[in-house]
Amino acid sequence: MSWHEWLAVPLLLSGAVFFLTGTIGLVRFPDTWSRLHAVTKADNVGLGLMVAGLASLSASAAVAFKLVLVWVLAMLAATFSCHLISRYSLRESERDDR
Amino acid sequence: MTPPVLYALCAAAIFGIAVYGLLSRPHLVRRLLALNMMGVAVFLLLVAFARRDPEVTDPVPHAMVLTGIVIAVSATAFGLALVRRLYRDTGRTGLSESRDP
Amino acid sequence: MTEAFSWVFDGLLVIALVIVAARVVFTPVLFKAIVMFIVFGLLMAIAWGRLDAPHVALAEAAIGAGITGALLLAAYSDLVSVRRRRPHLRPRVRVLRRHAFFAASAALAFAALALVLLQVPAPESGAGTLAVANLDATGVAEGVTAVLLDFRAYDTLLEMAVLLLAVYGARAVLVTDSEPRPDPWPTEGRHGSMVAALVGVLAPLIVVTAGYLLWVGAYGPGGAFQAGAVLAALGVLLRLTGRLEPAAASSWPQRLVLVAGLIVFSLVGLATLFAGGTFLDYPEAWAYPLVLLIEIALTVSIALPLILLFSGSPGLATPAPEDRR
Repeated sequence: MSWHEWLAVPLLLSGAVFFLTGTIGLVRFPDTWSRLHAVTKADNVGLGLMVAGLASLSASAAVAFKLVLVWVLAMLAATFSCHLISRYSLRESERDDR
Repeated sequence: MTPPVLYALCAAAIFGIAVYGLLSRPHLVRRLLALNMMGVAVFLLLVAFARRDPEVTDPVPHAMVLTGIVIAVSATAFGLALVRRLYRDTGRTGLSESRDP
Repeated sequence: MTEAFSWVFDGLLVIALVIVAARVVFTPVLFKAIVMFIVFGLLMAIAWGRLDAPHVALAEAAIGAGITGALLLAAYSDLVSVRRRRPHLRPRVRVLRRHAFFAASAALAFAALALVLLQVPAPESGAGTLAVANLDATGVAEGVTAVLLDFRAYDTLLEMAVLLLAVYGARAVLVTDSEPRPDPWPTEGRHGSMVAALVGVLAPLIVVTAGYLLWVGAYGPGGAFQAGAVLAALGVLLRLTGRLEPAAASSWPQRLVLVAGLIVFSLVGLATLFAGGTFLDYPEAWAYPLVLLIEIALTVSIALPLILLFSGSPGLATPAPEDRR
């Protein structure tokens, strides 16, 4: 195993652990907001670790850059969709209370 | 058993589920969903079979599926327009069976 | 070892696909069914990737899951918000026999398909081998693009006609009542300024991505379909955030864009016909520029109809500057 792989394997594995944690949170948590919290936070870190692992394995800097771009865009999308979903469900729950 | 065969069997299963949905669901949007899934199952079958020769991937089914996806979205959009119109005019979301006013 | 892992992955993916498909059909709530359908499309995109079909994966993610999902949700909000009369409820007589029949038909469809496809012999040499062998004559290095725009260009030409037909059909069906209907997506305070800011960041990125996909189609996964779908997604975003508004009629430029793909394609076909060749048989030296020209026209002529279908209006307009948010 080259040092690239020694670097990549722990990163990929810990990324997978974060994904697993986030998914367990998504399934087990009781309400929309804690589920969102689990999914967006844990998965963003998990994806970041995965991207770091894959980037250290990638052949060129261009590929690594594209991978990082994937991470940034996915985080951006996760942030905004989390915001929209939580706002929507907050409004819905207020309507139910009335 | 090879991966293409696995995916082809999956396509058959999705097709079967979608047939049930198409027949059993009166809501027209549900029927459109089922129709779309039947289409996707056919696409999956085509693309899975394009891979049966492991050396070359056949580009023709891929191109046909690309065309098919655009046709499917066109048909779905038109179908949804029809459903919206039906709902606006009659307040119904399904086709009534044999006791239309 | 690696092979075992890929079997596990494929197996899990197939199981997930079947379960999600079943959820689409069996979940009692329509909204959940639509969301499940979008999830189904995204899982399909992974499956296309596994089957070495990156073109299809891109198109499925953008069109199958993205645009179709947006169309379904738009229709859903219309079906919920208009609500003139309570939906006519049929007495719920559960006819067990009928459902047994449906289930039997479904099982029959599955069994017949499975039986047949397990026995189909592998092809010796099909159109695909021929297409790959003659790739040099098309000026593009990518098999799928070559098939779409050269070998089977008729299909693509007629597909553009179908898309246009869907737009005009939907317009004819939807725009009938004279009373102006409320915009289903009032932008006032709906999404807040955050989404507008996001669109500001994403819009240039999306345009660059669409241009890249269009250009790369000649030698890699990409092309007019994917680029058009990505542009359409931008249009949906702009429409949702109020940067584009529905208009009662399409302007001349919009009409031109709607038919551009069809017209450019047909003109190229006629030109090759009059130059002494066959319809849509490009001379070899001209093949690449012609394919690129057609692809550019197709991209915009795929994007605009999809946006109009989502918007549900005959045309689009930019809002007056003072009420732009």
